[in-house]
Parts: sequence; structure tokens; C-alpha cells
Amino acid sequence: MSSDVRFTDFKSDKQPTWCPGCGDFGTMNGMMKALANTGNDPDNTFVVAGIGCSGKIGTYMHSYALHGVHGRALPVGTGVKMARPDVEVMVAGGDGDGYSIGAGHFVHAVRRNVDMTYVVMDNRIYGLTKGQASPTSRSDFETSTTPEGPKQPPVNPLALALASGASFIAQSFSSDAMRHAEIVQEAIEHDGFGFVNVFSPCVTFNDVDTYDYFRDSLVDLEEEGHDPTDYEAAKEVILDADKEYQGVLYQDENSVPYHEQHGVTEDMSEIPDGAPEDAMDLVREFY
Amino acid sequence: MGGKAQDNMAEDLNWAVGGEAGDGIDSTGKIFAQALARAGRHVFTSKDFASRIRGGYTAYKIRTSVDKVQSVVDRLDILVALTQRTIDENLDELHEGSAIIYDGERSWDAEIPEEMTAVDVPLKSLAEEAGGAIMRNIVALGAACEITGFDVEYLDEALEKRFGGKGSKIVENNKEAARAGQEYVQENYDLDRLGYNIDTTDNDYVLLNGNEAIGMGALAAGCRFYAGYPITPATSIMEYLTERIEDYGGHVVQAEDELSAINMALGGARAGARAMTATSGAGIDLMTETFGLVATSETPLVIADVQRSGPSTGMPTKQEQGDLNMALYGGHGEVPRFVVAPTSITECFWKTVEAFNLAEKYQTPVFLVSDLAMSVTEQTFPPEAFDMDEVEIDRGKLVDEDEVDEWLDAQGHFRAHAVTEDGVSPRAIPGTTDAAHMSTGLEHDELGRRTEEEDERVHQVDKRNRKVETARENEDWDYREFGDPDADNLIISWGSNEGALIEALDYLKDDGIDVRVISVPYIFPRPDLTEEIEAAEETVVVECNATGQFADVIEHDVLTRVKRINKYTGVRFKADELADDISNKLAEEVPA
Ligand SMILES: Cc1ncc(C[n+]2csc(CCOP(=O)(O)OP(=O)(O)O)c2C)c(N)n1
Ligand code: SF4
Ligand SMILES: [Mg+2]
Repeated sequence: MSSDVRFTDFKSDKQPTWCPGCGDFGTMNGMMKALANTGNDPDNTFVVAGIGCSGKIGTYMHSYALHGVHGRALPVGTGVKMARPDVEVMVAGGDGDGYSIGAGHFVHAVRRNVDMTYVVMDNRIYGLTKGQASPTSRSDFETSTTPEGPKQPPVNPLALALASGASFIAQSFSSDAMRHAEIVQEAIEHDGFGFVNVFSPCVTFNDVDTYDYFRDSLVDLEEEGHDPTDYEAAKEVILDADKEYQGVLYQDENSVPYHEQHGVTEDMSEIPDGAPEDAMDLVREFY
Repeated sequence: MGGKAQDNMAEDLNWAVGGEAGDGIDSTGKIFAQALARAGRHVFTSKDFASRIRGGYTAYKIRTSVDKVQSVVDRLDILVALTQRTIDENLDELHEGSAIIYDGERSWDAEIPEEMTAVDVPLKSLAEEAGGAIMRNIVALGAACEITGFDVEYLDEALEKRFGGKGSKIVENNKEAARAGQEYVQENYDLDRLGYNIDTTDNDYVLLNGNEAIGMGALAAGCRFYAGYPITPATSIMEYLTERIEDYGGHVVQAEDELSAINMALGGARAGARAMTATSGAGIDLMTETFGLVATSETPLVIADVQRSGPSTGMPTKQEQGDLNMALYGGHGEVPRFVVAPTSITECFWKTVEAFNLAEKYQTPVFLVSDLAMSVTEQTFPPEAFDMDEVEIDRGKLVDEDEVDEWLDAQGHFRAHAVTEDGVSPRAIPGTTDAAHMSTGLEHDELGRRTEEEDERVHQVDKRNRKVETARENEDWDYREFGDPDADNLIISWGSNEGALIEALDYLKDDGIDVRVISVPYIFPRPDLTEEIEAAEETVVVECNATGQFADVIEHDVLTRVKRINKYTGVRFKADELADDISNKLAEEVPA
């Protein structure tokens, strides 16, 4: 790891094709800053991207990366980190990727508490498929597939995380660049699964959850003096449906990451040239 | 000894213990199998079971001989029956020389056909005297030793192995229980009339099943990461590895489903570990989602499918070779892959080692297709059959920091999907300086970046397919051959039917029928059998499925019709039955 890494080192030379003004620009910039600030460099970083507009992040960032199957980014990140505890793993995807098709993986990644970071670029819409309801869309949000709105309550991803036994739950806003980068950095530094739900407005298909809406409604928990290590206080803000919060909502100070729980420490990429030295013991076991 | 006893002097002995699931049938059978292996006898086991954990008939069957045994036959000589159903289920296999050990004190009135020898042993009472009713099965094993003239001391060794970890008191009680059974039979029955005889040898054999062989092969090959989701009959691979992989610095993780399991394994592989997953039935359907990603991201991954009877939940504890088409064609689009199907338990080991090498050399998914019959069968082998010195590791074009330069483009980007002559690109894993790159399931250029440009698309498709062509030329895709190489009759099989076929050869020979057997472990790429089929007068393809999936493939390869033997009852082929099927099939008119 070199100390002179700048956040632009994490930028690829591929120009993003996101719509001008898309929240994903800001979300990505903050991630790159947070990675650089925590002493990582592209050669020791692995980004796993979901499928969606958000998932294009794998192409626009420079690092080891995999852009895989819709909804399965978390399992891939889990596998990378298991095999290589020395590598910084960051998983990123959309609200559809993470809370709909990948919802099962979200629950279990949260409770597994592998030491990696999960950034969800939540625009409350399916962007890539051109504007259908997502699991975080409002119940009256009209889209091409829900002409009268989904008529079902949106998923509260923060509450889902808390109920799944999360050790770190945060929320940020892509256009509050400094706070967003800070919060992602805290997630990286957290010992365990660092989850950040990022409001990343879709300027093309969502005219409800807009920059203006978030700017007007966002409450910064830091300014409120919220103590994220206080579970009861965390529960209260997480279940508060009337406000949109920014900041670290919950952090378990005693979080023990998966690798520590299970004693997984080795770089699994290194193996001998032949069978392990004592491998005949494996055969003799069957006498 | 009378005439009847003479009949029983077959070289092999077929023994079984059966009862309700939950009666400890499996461990009882295994103890007896281990005792036989300790005595230098070969053993081949099979299981009848229902998937319910408790309730339902289950049996553990052992065929044993001083010679190698590799199939079950339709004959049962000694049966330990804990329930009436055990007897009823096996009436077809029992014969007039059979002995049935049962406990007359139990509530059921055993109905044992008159011509068989009923050996009524108060299993439960004797076990209680020895220290606990739980040992009644061990009493039965002692009784079985006496009937067959098998030295109970071999049983002692197996009991020590099984119960040694639980303390010497338990071991001693079990030995006592075994002796109680033995002595009871000695005192109450005149056994000469049965005439069974168990010879011993000085050979030392190991006893293991196909899934253990796959797990052991994975460890030998350097597999360090396994992600899986429990499903019969694949789970025991996961259990085997869970117990041992950490000794080698690896880890097993139980995923939330198979969608996750294969993606975790893929992540481990991209991070540079030799990684695998295994599943069966519906699990392979879920994994199909990710096959294409493994192939286009050019990730080395071993995916084991321990086939069971389908479709849907099918018959989860029954045998079938129904997934061949899935392995060959599963997934949307065109997915380059290798499909390897071990034909025996030793081959489960060796083909697993080979699968890891193929995966890394060609950066391609490798399907290791085994089946339920092989997964639950325990068989004896000399330990040299798994000679670890013979294990070779080839990691393919894995590049280190010094080699990265060669593979950078003018802007200094690592060409992870470089279009090369052999189709294989360099592979760099995280931590390798200057080689950071993305891979994706989207069509991509040499750098791994999305493209829909026509030439790039064609280059990448061709290069991925070229890897298969390179492998076709450079690797050994040969078949295994048995029987008479010059015979007019050719029998072709894939996967686990090999053992039954080899033994069927003897039965056929007795009937004056010579056959050549070709057993194919490579499904894709596979050997071209055109010459062999053209040289034969009759060709029969044998497989455990209803539609003849391998026969279809062979017909397509060779552009000719073949005869087919298909079994889809859920039970594997038995040597004697298969011999009959073959001779009948050979006599049939050629299909129009
Ligand atoms: C298995 C599968 N089903 C459907 C799709 C089509 N699809 C692509 S992205 C997407 C939804 C993306 O929404 P989200 O995750 O919120 O990402 P966004 O585009 O909003 O960033 C869908 C349904 C797919 N790629 N794969
Ligand atoms: S469609 Fe929406 S989410 Fe997608 S790039 Fe455009 S603004 Fe961003
Ligand atoms: Mg979205």
C-alpha cells in the first residue's frame, strides 16, 4: 500500500454514461475518496458491482473488480474477502439489486458480518430498465408497471438491517459530498459489515425523490447529537418513518467480524505445488 | 455340509442390516464394513433409504469378497432385520440359503419364509445385559460373525475405531455386546448347514465413498474455499471439507442458498483461491444463473453436481443420471465449459484433482458430475490408489508482478481477457501490482470493459471457445476400456455404471457373450467414438435415465443409431441384472 494514493487513482479512464446530474456520480466520488483516505490502493481493492445504472460503477472505478449477476454482488464480495482477508472489499449496487432480487443475500450478509463495505445507491426506482417501481419506491409512486403506485409500503432497508443483526448501519446523500465520503469512510473502518444506504437521485425517472426533496428533508444525526452505539436510540431513528436521516444510525462497538469469529486469516491463493505434505494422512483416515 | 451349503460357497457374501430410519442402520453397517476391510476383504456397500429422518425403511448392504467387488447383485445371504418390512422389502434377493437374524422378543411376529434360516437372537435383552439396549445392533453383528465364521476380533477393531473417542468403557461394552450375540448363536444354533465362509487376507484397505473421495481430491488439489448449501446427496462433500479444510488454511461457508453459494465460490476464485461448490437436484438449477458469468469472466471454478433423481424434488434419495443435458447445455447463451464425470470412487478423487487443474489452466467452469449411487457407496481400495505423490498442480497462466508488464496495453492497462492464440489470457489476482482490472458478465474487450462492438464481440467469443479447442488438443480425453477389445458387441457407459458393467462381463462370458466395454469419464470435450462404433456390430449405451441423454449425444457425434438400456427406477444397475439386460438388448432387432 502506498501512502501517496489519491482518490483519482481509483478512477478509470472510461467516461461515465450516467445521465448528467445522476446521483451515482457523487456516490462514486465519495467511495473513491473514502478508499484513498483509508490507505487503500487499486491493487489491493476489490469492488463488486451489482446490475443496474448503479452497477456501472465497476467500470468507472479502477481496482480489481467484478460486475456480475443481478442481485448477487454480496455473495461475490463475501467470497473474495473469505479467500483474501488482506484485500479491501467494497460492494455496490442499486436498491433493486440489493433489496429486491438480492434481498435474501442482504439479510445474510448483514448477519454474517464479514468485514467489508456495502454501498447501496438508493434512487427508489429501477433506473437501468427505465423507470419501474423499486422496493424502496413510495406506495403511491406511479410508474409504467405500477400506474397507480405499488400500493405496498416501501422496504425500510435500515430496519431490515437492524432486524438482521447489523453491526453498522448508515445513510448518506450523494450530493452532500463531504458527509457522504466521511460516512463511507466510517463504514470501511468499521470492524465488520459496514452498510451505507446512499440517497442517489435518479434525475430521469424519479421526480419525487429529488435533490430538492432530500436537501429539504434530510436531518443530520451528527448535528442532532445521536449516539449510534445506543441501540434504543438507533431503533428509534431507524423506525422513524417521518424523517430522512443522514449519518451513522447504529454501530455495535463490540462487533466481532466473521473472520475473527471463525479464525479465517490465511491468504488462500497460496498453495503448494503438489498435494499438501501430510496428505497421505487423509487417506489413512479411512483405514 | 449338505448340497444346500455347497450353493452358499459363492466367492462373495452379501450381507445387510435394515430397519427404520433412525435405528442406527448406517453406523451399524459401516462398522461391519470396516471390520471386513480390516480383515483384508474387499467391500462394496449400498444403501436403501427414504429421505425422512425417522420412520421409513432403510438398509445398509454389503457385498464382500477377497477379490475386488464393484457392484451390487440381486442376492442377499445374511440379513439383520430390525423390522418385518426389512424382510418384505428384500424377498426378491433372499434365497433358500439365506439367514435372517431377528429379535423374536420384539413385538412383531417375524414372518420368515420357511426355506430360509431364521436366527432368533434376543438382541435387546443381550444388549441390556452388556450395558444398554442401544447396542442391540452390535449384538446382531456378533451373531452375524458367528453365522459366517468371521473372527469377532476384526469387529473389535472396527468398534475401537467407531467408539474410541467415547472412552474405553463404551468400547468394552460394545465388544461385550458383540460377544453376547456371537455366543448366543453358537450355543443355540447348529451352523454348519449354512456353510458360509469368510476368508481373510493380509491386505490393508481403506474404505470410503465417492463424496469423501471428491472432498479428499479437493484438499489434495489445493482447494481452500468451499461455499455450499445443504442438499442430499451433495452435503457430505461439504461436511467432509468442513471437518478438515481449516487444517490447510481454508474455510467452508454455508451460504443462504445456491445462488449465493456459487457466487461466493466465484468470488473466492477471483481472489485467487482454488474454490468449489457442490450441489444436486434443484440446487444446480439455481446455480445455472451464474454459469455464464463464470465462463465470460473466465473464472476457474469447480462445480460438482452429485446427481439425484429429478425433475423438481423428484426422488431425493434415489439414483439417476438425469443431469447430463443440464451440464452440457445449462444456462442461456453459449457457455464454454468442461464436463467431467468420474466413473468410480477412485476416479472421484483423481477427476476432482484434474478438474481443478483444468479450471485454472483454461479459466473455465468445470462440472464434476457424480451421482447418488457413488456418493453413498463405500468401497475398499489399497491406499496407493490415492497416491498423493502423483497429484500434480497446474495453475495455468497465473502471472506475478514481474510478468504483468508483458500484458499491459500502451496505456498501462492489464489485458485480463487478452486475445491469444490458445485462447487463454493471463490471470492476475488482487494484490498483484499494476494488474487491477474488472471482469464482467457483459461482453467486454481485452481489458474487461463493456463493449458491443462487433469485432470485439467475435474476438472474445472465439477466444473463449478456442480455450476448449486448445484443451481438446492438449489434454487427455480418453475413455476407459474393459472386456474383449475385439468383441463385436460394444457397450458404452458414462459415470458410475462402470463397476456393474465390469462385473456383468463375467456373467455374459458364462453365457458365451463377449463384449467390449467403453466407460467414458469425459462428457465435454469427449472422445470421438466413431471408429469404435463402426467397428462394432452392435452398440448399446447404458445409463440411469429415461431418455438416453448420452445415447443422444453419441448418435449425434457418430451419425448412427445405437441401442439403449435405460434404468430410471431410482436404483443403480446391478451386475447380474445388467448382464441380462445386455444379452436381451443384443438379441433385439436393430431399431429402424
Ligand atoms: C435476473 C435479471 N432480471 C432482470 C434484469 C433486468 N434488470 C437490470 S437492472 C434492473 C433493476 C435495477 O434497479 P436498481 O438495482 O435499483 O439499479 P438502478 O438502475 O436503479 O441503479 C433489472 C430489473 C437482469 N439484469 N437480471
Ligand atoms: S436513469 Fe437515473 S439512475 Fe440511471 S443514469 Fe440516468 S439518472 Fe442515473
Ligand atoms: Mg435503483
